[in-house]
Amino acid sequence: MPITIQPYLPEHERAVAEFNQRLKTATNDPSLVFPRYAVPRWLPPTSGQPVWNELFVAVEGSSVRGAYGLKQEQIFVRGKGIYTAACYHHSLAEGIIDRAYASVGVLLVRDALVRQPLLYVLGMGGMDRPIAKMLKALGFSLTVLPFYFRVVYPAKFLREMQALRDQPWRAWLMDFAALTGTGWLGIKTIQAAKALRTLRGDFSAEEVAEFSDWANDLWSEARDSVSLAAVRDAKTLRLLYTSGDTALTRLRVSRNGKPIGWAVVGERRKDSKFGEMRVGSIVDCWALPVNAAAVIRAATRAIEKRNVDLIVSNHGHHLWGRAFEAGGYLGGPSTFVLAMSPKLTELLQPLEKTRDFIHITRADGDGLPRNF
Amino acid sequence: MTVFDQVRTLACDLFATSADKLSSSSSPETVEAWDSVQHLNLVLAVEEKFHLQLSPEEIEQMKTIGDVVKIVEGKLQTAPS
Repeated sequence: MPITIQPYLPEHERAVAEFNQRLKTATNDPSLVFPRYAVPRWLPPTSGQPVWNELFVAVEGSSVRGAYGLKQEQIFVRGKGIYTAACYHHSLAEGIIDRAYASVGVLLVRDALVRQPLLYVLGMGGMDRPIAKMLKALGFSLTVLPFYFRVVYPAKFLREMQALRDQPWRAWLMDFAALTGTGWLGIKTIQAAKALRTLRGDFSAEEVAEFSDWANDLWSEARDSVSLAAVRDAKTLRLLYTSGDTALTRLRVSRNGKPIGWAVVGERRKDSKFGEMRVGSIVDCWALPVNAAAVIRAATRAIEKRNVDLIVSNHGHHLWGRAFEAGGYLGGPSTFVLAMSPKLTELLQPLEKTRDFIHITRADGDGLPRNF
Repeated sequence: MTVFDQVRTLACDLFATSADKLSSSSSPETVEAWDSVQHLNLVLAVEEKFHLQLSPEEIEQMKTIGDVVKIVEGKLQTAPS
Protein backbone atom coordinates (compact mmCIF):
# COMPACT_ATOMS: atom_id res chain seq x y z
CA MET A 1 0.00 0.00 0.00
CA PRO A 2 1.48 3.38 -0.95
CA ILE A 3 2.61 5.87 1.68
CA THR A 4 1.25 9.40 1.35
CA ILE A 5 2.18 12.43 3.39
CA GLN A 6 -0.70 14.59 4.43
CA PRO A 7 -1.64 17.18 7.06
CA TYR A 8 -2.18 15.66 10.48
CA LEU A 9 -5.93 15.55 11.14
CA PRO A 10 -7.90 14.45 14.22
CA GLU A 11 -8.79 11.21 12.39
CA HIS A 12 -5.06 10.30 12.45
CA GLU A 13 -4.66 10.72 16.20
CA ARG A 14 -5.34 7.08 17.02
CA ALA A 15 -2.81 5.89 14.39
CA VAL A 16 -0.26 8.40 15.73
CA ALA A 17 -0.76 7.02 19.25
CA GLU A 18 -0.11 3.50 17.89
CA PHE A 19 2.96 4.77 16.00
CA ASN A 20 4.28 6.35 19.21
CA GLN A 21 3.65 3.10 21.08
CA ARG A 22 5.57 1.06 18.49
CA LEU A 23 8.53 3.46 18.76
CA LYS A 24 8.40 3.37 22.56
CA THR A 25 8.20 -0.41 22.74
CA ALA A 26 11.10 -0.92 20.34
CA THR A 27 13.45 1.80 21.57
CA ASN A 28 12.40 2.66 25.14
CA ASP A 29 13.37 6.22 24.23
CA PRO A 30 10.84 8.69 25.67
CA SER A 31 12.04 11.43 23.32
CA LEU A 32 10.72 9.57 20.28
CA VAL A 33 7.17 10.73 20.51
CA PHE A 34 5.06 12.72 18.08
CA PRO A 35 2.45 15.21 19.32
CA ARG A 36 -0.72 13.47 20.40
CA TYR A 37 -3.11 16.03 19.01
CA ALA A 38 -3.54 17.09 15.40
CA VAL A 39 -3.97 20.73 16.34
CA PRO A 40 -0.66 21.81 17.86
CA ARG A 41 -0.93 22.89 21.47
CA TRP A 42 1.87 25.37 20.92
CA LEU A 43 1.54 27.97 18.15
CA PRO A 44 -1.48 26.50 16.37
CA PRO A 45 -2.12 27.95 12.91
CA THR A 46 -4.12 31.13 13.39
CA SER A 47 -4.92 33.66 10.74
CA GLY A 48 -2.60 36.64 10.73
CA GLN A 49 -0.04 35.24 13.18
CA PRO A 50 3.63 35.50 12.16
CA VAL A 51 4.66 32.14 13.71
CA TRP A 52 2.73 28.89 13.61
CA ASN A 53 3.15 25.14 13.70
CA GLU A 54 1.93 22.63 11.11
CA LEU A 55 2.07 18.87 11.55
CA PHE A 56 2.20 16.17 8.86
CA VAL A 57 1.90 12.39 8.88
CA ALA A 58 3.03 9.65 6.48
CA VAL A 59 0.03 7.41 6.11
CA GLU A 60 -0.05 3.82 4.85
CA GLY A 61 -3.60 2.51 4.87
CA SER A 62 -4.84 3.04 8.40
CA SER A 63 -1.33 3.24 9.89
CA VAL A 64 1.01 6.17 10.42
CA ARG A 65 4.60 5.34 9.39
CA GLY A 66 6.22 8.71 9.96
CA ALA A 67 5.55 12.30 10.89
CA TYR A 68 7.11 15.75 11.10
CA GLY A 69 6.36 19.32 12.05
CA LEU A 70 7.07 22.66 10.43
CA LYS A 71 7.35 25.80 12.50
CA GLN A 72 6.63 28.49 9.96
CA GLU A 73 8.09 31.86 10.84
CA GLN A 74 9.42 35.12 9.50
CA ILE A 75 13.18 35.39 9.13
CA PHE A 76 15.39 38.39 8.46
CA VAL A 77 18.33 38.10 6.09
CA ARG A 78 20.67 41.09 6.10
CA GLY A 79 20.74 42.87 2.78
CA LYS A 80 17.83 40.78 1.47
CA GLY A 81 14.81 41.37 3.71
CA ILE A 82 12.09 39.33 5.38
CA TYR A 83 11.12 35.82 4.22
CA THR A 84 8.86 33.08 5.48
CA ALA A 85 10.95 30.05 6.39
CA ALA A 86 10.33 26.94 8.45
CA CYS A 87 12.00 24.82 11.06
CA TYR A 88 11.67 21.08 10.36
CA HIS A 89 11.13 19.36 13.69
CA HIS A 90 9.82 16.24 15.43
CA SER A 91 10.76 14.14 12.42
CA LEU A 92 10.06 10.48 13.23
CA ALA A 93 9.98 7.50 10.88
CA GLU A 94 9.08 3.85 11.21
CA GLY A 95 12.46 3.13 9.61
CA ILE A 96 14.00 3.71 13.05
CA ILE A 97 12.54 0.40 14.20
CA ASP A 98 11.69 -1.42 10.96
CA ARG A 99 14.06 -1.38 8.01
CA ALA A 100 11.23 -2.18 5.64
CA TYR A 101 10.40 1.52 6.07
CA ALA A 102 13.91 2.86 5.42
CA SER A 103 12.50 5.14 2.72
CA VAL A 104 10.16 7.07 5.03
CA GLY A 105 12.86 9.39 6.42
CA VAL A 106 13.77 10.50 2.89
CA LEU A 107 10.12 11.01 1.98
CA LEU A 108 9.54 13.22 5.00
CA VAL A 109 12.46 15.58 4.35
CA ARG A 110 11.73 15.83 0.64
CA ASP A 111 8.08 16.53 1.35
CA ALA A 112 9.04 19.29 3.77
CA LEU A 113 11.36 20.83 1.18
CA VAL A 114 8.55 20.93 -1.34
CA ARG A 115 6.23 22.62 1.16
CA GLN A 116 8.90 25.09 2.29
CA PRO A 117 12.21 25.34 0.38
CA LEU A 118 13.59 27.79 2.98
CA LEU A 119 14.01 25.12 5.59
CA TYR A 120 16.27 24.70 8.59
CA VAL A 121 16.78 22.05 11.23
CA LEU A 122 18.26 22.75 14.64
CA GLY A 123 19.81 20.61 17.35
CA MET A 124 19.96 17.02 16.13
CA GLY A 125 22.52 15.91 18.73
CA GLY A 126 25.59 16.23 16.56
CA MET A 127 26.99 15.91 13.05
CA ASP A 128 27.23 12.14 13.30
CA ARG A 129 23.49 11.57 13.84
CA PRO A 130 21.52 9.97 10.98
CA ILE A 131 19.37 13.04 10.38
CA ALA A 132 22.42 15.30 10.11
CA LYS A 133 24.00 12.90 7.61
CA MET A 134 20.78 12.76 5.64
CA LEU A 135 20.50 16.55 5.46
CA LYS A 136 24.13 16.85 4.40
CA ALA A 137 23.49 14.40 1.58
CA LEU A 138 20.54 16.55 0.50
CA GLY A 139 22.82 19.56 0.16
CA PHE A 140 22.06 21.29 3.47
CA SER A 141 24.88 23.37 4.97
CA LEU A 142 25.72 22.28 8.50
CA THR A 143 27.11 24.53 11.22
CA VAL A 144 27.85 23.64 14.84
CA LEU A 145 26.62 26.43 17.12
CA PRO A 146 28.89 27.07 20.11
CA PHE A 147 27.87 25.92 23.59
CA TYR A 148 28.56 28.07 26.65
CA PHE A 149 28.24 27.19 30.31
CA ARG A 150 28.79 28.87 33.64
CA VAL A 151 29.19 26.87 36.80
CA VAL A 152 27.40 28.39 39.78
CA TYR A 153 28.16 25.64 42.32
CA PRO A 154 31.40 23.92 41.26
CA ALA A 155 31.32 21.10 43.84
CA LYS A 156 27.91 19.92 42.72
CA PHE A 157 28.85 20.41 39.09
CA LEU A 158 31.91 18.21 39.45
CA ARG A 159 29.93 15.48 41.18
CA GLU A 160 26.92 15.54 38.92
CA MET A 161 28.18 16.29 35.47
CA GLN A 162 27.49 12.78 34.27
CA ALA A 163 28.45 13.63 30.72
CA LEU A 164 32.01 14.23 31.87
CA ARG A 165 32.14 11.10 34.00
CA ASP A 166 32.21 8.59 31.18
CA GLN A 167 35.52 7.10 32.30
CA PRO A 168 36.30 5.88 35.82
CA TRP A 169 39.58 7.80 36.11
CA ARG A 170 37.85 11.04 35.16
CA ALA A 171 34.98 10.43 37.56
CA TRP A 172 37.48 9.74 40.33
CA LEU A 173 39.43 12.89 39.52
CA MET A 174 36.28 14.98 39.57
CA ASP A 175 35.18 13.51 42.91
CA PHE A 176 38.63 14.24 44.31
CA ALA A 177 38.59 17.78 42.98
CA ALA A 178 35.12 18.34 44.45
CA LEU A 179 36.13 16.95 47.82
CA THR A 180 39.36 18.89 48.19
CA GLY A 181 38.16 22.13 46.73
CA THR A 182 40.74 22.19 43.95
CA GLY A 183 38.02 21.86 41.33
CA TRP A 184 36.07 24.73 42.86
CA LEU A 185 39.16 26.88 42.85
CA GLY A 186 40.01 26.02 39.26
CA ILE A 187 36.55 26.71 37.87
CA LYS A 188 36.06 29.91 39.82
CA THR A 189 39.54 31.16 38.81
CA ILE A 190 38.92 30.57 35.11
CA GLN A 191 35.46 32.13 35.21
CA ALA A 192 36.70 35.12 37.22
CA ALA A 193 39.63 35.65 34.87
CA LYS A 194 37.27 35.69 31.91
CA ALA A 195 34.83 37.97 33.70
CA LEU A 196 37.62 40.52 34.33
CA ARG A 197 37.28 41.42 30.70
CA THR A 198 33.65 42.39 31.10
CA LEU A 199 32.38 45.78 30.09
CA ARG A 200 31.20 48.37 32.55
CA GLY A 201 28.26 47.40 34.70
CA ASP A 202 26.19 50.58 34.30
CA PHE A 203 22.97 48.93 33.36
CA SER A 204 19.77 47.96 35.07
CA ALA A 205 17.43 45.06 34.42
CA GLU A 206 13.77 44.59 35.21
CA GLU A 207 11.36 41.73 34.69
CA VAL A 208 8.57 42.54 32.28
CA ALA A 209 5.24 40.80 31.82
CA GLU A 210 5.40 41.08 28.05
CA PHE A 211 7.22 42.68 25.16
CA SER A 212 5.82 45.95 23.79
CA ASP A 213 6.88 48.80 21.50
CA TRP A 214 10.31 49.20 23.05
CA ALA A 215 11.13 45.70 21.70
CA ASN A 216 10.26 46.90 18.19
CA ASP A 217 12.81 49.70 18.54
CA LEU A 218 15.48 47.23 19.63
CA TRP A 219 14.62 44.86 16.80
CA SER A 220 14.99 47.64 14.20
CA GLU A 221 18.14 49.00 15.81
CA ALA A 222 20.05 45.73 16.00
CA ARG A 223 18.86 43.60 13.12
CA ASP A 224 21.59 44.74 10.75
CA SER A 225 24.17 43.37 13.18
CA VAL A 226 23.13 39.85 12.24
CA SER A 227 23.25 37.99 8.93
CA LEU A 228 20.20 35.87 9.78
CA ALA A 229 17.69 35.82 12.60
CA ALA A 230 14.12 34.79 13.18
CA VAL A 231 12.13 38.02 13.47
CA ARG A 232 12.06 39.23 17.05
CA ASP A 233 9.66 42.14 16.94
CA ALA A 234 7.19 42.76 19.76
CA LYS A 235 4.29 40.93 18.09
CA THR A 236 6.35 37.78 17.53
CA LEU A 237 7.86 37.93 21.00
CA ARG A 238 4.43 38.19 22.62
CA LEU A 239 3.46 34.97 20.82
CA LEU A 240 6.63 33.15 21.79
CA TYR A 241 6.78 34.41 25.37
CA THR A 242 3.20 34.78 26.46
CA SER A 243 2.59 36.94 29.50
CA GLY A 244 1.03 34.03 31.40
CA ASP A 245 4.10 31.82 31.09
CA THR A 246 5.70 31.90 34.53
CA ALA A 247 8.38 29.31 33.69
CA LEU A 248 10.31 31.92 31.77
CA THR A 249 11.58 35.30 32.94
CA ARG A 250 11.48 38.17 30.46
CA LEU A 251 14.07 40.84 31.16
CA ARG A 252 14.41 44.35 29.80
CA VAL A 253 17.93 45.70 30.15
CA SER A 254 18.38 49.48 30.18
CA ARG A 255 21.12 52.04 30.45
CA ASN A 256 20.31 55.56 31.64
CA GLY A 257 16.64 54.70 31.41
CA LYS A 258 16.81 53.64 27.75
CA PRO A 259 16.24 49.98 26.81
CA ILE A 260 19.42 48.52 25.30
CA GLY A 261 18.43 44.87 25.04
CA TRP A 262 16.39 42.00 26.41
CA ALA A 263 16.81 38.40 27.48
CA VAL A 264 14.63 35.45 28.37
CA VAL A 265 15.85 32.97 30.95
CA GLY A 266 14.42 29.82 32.46
CA GLU A 267 15.21 26.58 34.24
CA ARG A 268 15.59 23.51 32.06
CA ARG A 269 13.76 20.27 32.56
CA LYS A 270 15.66 17.54 34.39
CA ASP A 271 18.13 15.80 32.12
CA SER A 272 20.09 12.67 33.01
CA LYS A 273 23.26 14.05 31.47
CA PHE A 274 23.28 16.78 34.13
CA GLY A 275 22.61 14.39 37.02
CA GLU A 276 20.75 16.04 39.92
CA MET A 277 21.83 19.53 38.99
CA ARG A 278 19.39 22.36 38.50
CA VAL A 279 20.26 23.83 35.14
CA GLY A 280 19.32 27.31 34.02
CA SER A 281 19.34 28.49 30.45
CA ILE A 282 19.74 31.80 28.71
CA VAL A 283 17.00 30.96 26.29
CA ASP A 284 17.00 34.03 24.09
CA CYS A 285 18.54 37.50 23.91
CA TRP A 286 18.69 40.53 21.68
CA ALA A 287 20.72 43.75 21.59
CA LEU A 288 23.32 45.54 19.56
CA PRO A 289 26.59 43.61 19.93
CA VAL A 290 28.07 46.52 21.90
CA ASN A 291 25.41 45.90 24.57
CA ALA A 292 25.50 42.11 24.44
CA ALA A 293 27.79 41.75 27.47
CA ALA A 294 25.42 43.82 29.61
CA VAL A 295 22.48 41.67 28.53
CA ILE A 296 24.35 38.45 29.29
CA ARG A 297 25.34 39.72 32.73
CA ALA A 298 21.78 40.77 33.49
CA ALA A 299 20.46 37.41 32.31
CA THR A 300 23.07 35.59 34.39
CA ARG A 301 22.11 37.45 37.55
CA ALA A 302 18.44 36.74 36.96
CA ILE A 303 18.91 33.02 36.45
CA GLU A 304 21.35 32.72 39.36
CA LYS A 305 18.57 34.01 41.62
CA ARG A 306 16.70 30.78 40.87
CA ASN A 307 19.46 28.85 42.69
CA VAL A 308 20.55 26.87 39.68
CA ASP A 309 23.83 24.94 39.79
CA LEU A 310 24.77 25.50 36.19
CA ILE A 311 23.78 27.90 33.41
CA VAL A 312 23.96 26.83 29.77
CA SER A 313 23.31 28.45 26.44
CA ASN A 314 24.03 28.17 22.74
CA HIS A 315 24.52 31.10 20.44
CA GLY A 316 25.59 31.29 16.83
CA HIS A 317 26.74 34.91 16.63
CA HIS A 318 30.44 35.25 17.36
CA LEU A 319 30.12 38.67 19.00
CA TRP A 320 27.55 37.24 21.39
CA GLY A 321 30.03 34.44 21.98
CA ARG A 322 32.51 37.05 23.19
CA ALA A 323 29.83 38.50 25.43
CA PHE A 324 29.30 35.08 27.01
CA GLU A 325 33.04 34.74 27.59
CA ALA A 326 33.17 38.24 29.07
CA GLY A 327 30.37 37.17 31.40
CA GLY A 328 32.50 34.34 32.76
CA TYR A 329 31.14 31.57 30.60
CA LEU A 330 33.31 28.74 29.33
CA GLY A 331 32.99 27.09 25.94
CA GLY A 332 32.19 23.38 25.80
CA PRO A 333 31.76 20.70 23.13
CA SER A 334 28.59 21.39 21.19
CA THR A 335 26.13 19.02 19.55
CA PHE A 336 23.75 21.85 18.62
CA VAL A 337 23.79 21.83 14.85
CA LEU A 338 22.13 24.23 12.43
CA ALA A 339 21.32 22.70 9.06
CA MET A 340 20.09 25.07 6.35
CA SER A 341 18.49 23.93 3.10
CA PRO A 342 20.22 24.77 -0.19
CA LYS A 343 17.74 27.61 -0.89
CA LEU A 344 18.23 29.13 2.56
CA THR A 345 22.00 28.73 2.30
CA GLU A 346 21.86 30.51 -1.06
CA LEU A 347 20.38 33.58 0.65
CA LEU A 348 23.36 33.72 2.97
CA GLN A 349 26.11 33.50 0.39
CA PRO A 350 29.01 33.91 0.80
CA LEU A 351 28.40 31.64 3.78
CA GLU A 352 32.00 31.78 4.99
CA LYS A 353 31.45 35.50 5.64
CA THR A 354 27.93 35.37 7.06
CA ARG A 355 28.13 32.17 9.10
CA ASP A 356 29.59 33.80 12.23
CA PHE A 357 26.82 36.41 12.34
CA ILE A 358 23.84 34.05 12.42
CA HIS A 359 21.72 34.88 15.46
CA ILE A 360 20.39 31.51 16.59
CA THR A 361 19.62 30.78 20.23
CA ARG A 362 18.01 28.01 22.28
CA ALA A 363 14.63 29.60 21.56
CA ASP A 364 14.87 28.93 17.84
CA GLY A 365 13.81 25.72 16.18
CA ASP A 366 11.66 23.66 18.52
CA GLY A 367 13.39 25.08 21.61
CA LEU A 368 10.17 26.58 22.93
CA PRO A 369 8.11 26.25 24.94
CA ARG A 370 10.15 23.84 27.11
CA ASN A 371 12.90 22.25 25.02
CA PHE A 372 15.54 24.91 25.69
CA MET B 1 26.53 -2.96 -18.64
CA THR B 2 22.90 -3.61 -17.66
CA VAL B 3 20.86 -1.34 -15.39
CA PHE B 4 21.02 -4.07 -12.76
CA ASP B 5 24.84 -4.11 -12.92
CA GLN B 6 24.98 -0.32 -12.65
CA VAL B 7 22.55 -0.17 -9.71
CA ARG B 8 24.40 -3.00 -7.99
CA THR B 9 27.69 -1.17 -8.42
CA LEU B 10 26.20 1.95 -6.82
CA ALA B 11 24.79 -0.14 -3.98
CA CYS B 12 28.11 -1.94 -3.45
CA ASP B 13 29.88 1.39 -3.02
CA LEU B 14 27.25 2.79 -0.68
CA PHE B 15 26.80 -0.30 1.45
CA ALA B 16 30.51 -1.20 1.38
CA THR B 17 29.85 -4.75 0.26
CA SER B 18 30.82 -6.96 -2.66
CA ALA B 19 28.69 -7.58 -5.77
CA ASP B 20 28.24 -11.28 -5.02
CA LYS B 21 26.47 -10.37 -1.76
CA LEU B 22 23.82 -8.26 -3.51
CA SER B 23 21.04 -9.78 -5.54
CA SER B 24 17.79 -8.57 -7.01
CA SER B 25 16.01 -9.45 -3.77
CA SER B 26 18.46 -7.63 -1.46
CA SER B 27 16.61 -5.14 0.79
CA PRO B 28 17.14 -3.03 3.92
CA GLU B 29 16.15 -6.11 5.90
CA THR B 30 18.93 -8.26 4.42
CA VAL B 31 21.71 -5.68 3.94
CA GLU B 32 23.10 -4.46 7.25
CA ALA B 33 24.26 -1.06 5.97
CA TRP B 34 21.02 -0.22 4.18
CA ASP B 35 19.48 2.16 6.70
CA SER B 36 17.45 5.34 6.15
CA VAL B 37 20.55 7.45 5.51
CA GLN B 38 21.91 5.00 2.96
CA HIS B 39 18.48 4.77 1.38
CA LEU B 40 18.66 8.50 0.75
CA ASN B 41 22.19 8.15 -0.60
CA LEU B 42 20.99 5.39 -2.93
CA VAL B 43 18.17 7.64 -4.17
CA LEU B 44 20.60 10.50 -4.81
CA ALA B 45 23.16 8.21 -6.46
CA VAL B 46 20.54 6.70 -8.78
CA GLU B 47 19.24 10.16 -9.72
CA GLU B 48 22.74 11.38 -10.50
CA LYS B 49 23.86 8.28 -12.36
CA PHE B 50 20.82 8.01 -14.62
CA HIS B 51 20.02 11.75 -14.83
CA LEU B 52 16.49 11.35 -13.56
CA GLN B 53 14.27 12.58 -10.72
CA LEU B 54 12.50 10.05 -8.52
CA SER B 55 9.03 10.87 -7.23
CA PRO B 56 7.99 10.22 -3.60
CA GLU B 57 5.96 7.21 -4.80
CA GLU B 58 8.98 5.75 -6.58
CA ILE B 59 11.24 6.33 -3.57
CA GLU B 60 8.73 4.52 -1.42
CA GLN B 61 8.55 1.61 -3.88
CA MET B 62 12.35 1.08 -3.75
CA LYS B 63 12.17 -1.84 -1.33
CA THR B 64 14.72 -4.12 -3.04
CA ILE B 65 17.55 -3.78 -5.55
CA GLY B 66 15.19 -5.35 -8.08
CA ASP B 67 12.59 -2.64 -7.38
CA VAL B 68 15.20 0.06 -7.98
CA VAL B 69 16.19 -1.54 -11.28
CA LYS B 70 12.56 -1.83 -12.37
CA ILE B 71 11.87 1.85 -11.59
CA VAL B 72 15.01 3.04 -13.37
CA GLU B 73 14.30 0.89 -16.44
CA GLY B 74 10.74 2.19 -16.57
CA LYS B 75 11.86 5.80 -16.36
CA LEU B 76 14.60 5.35 -18.96
CA GLN B 77 12.08 3.85 -21.39
CA THR B 78 9.69 6.77 -21.00
CA ALA B 79 12.39 9.45 -20.96
CA PRO B 80 12.51 11.64 -24.10
CA SER B 81 15.49 10.72 -26.22
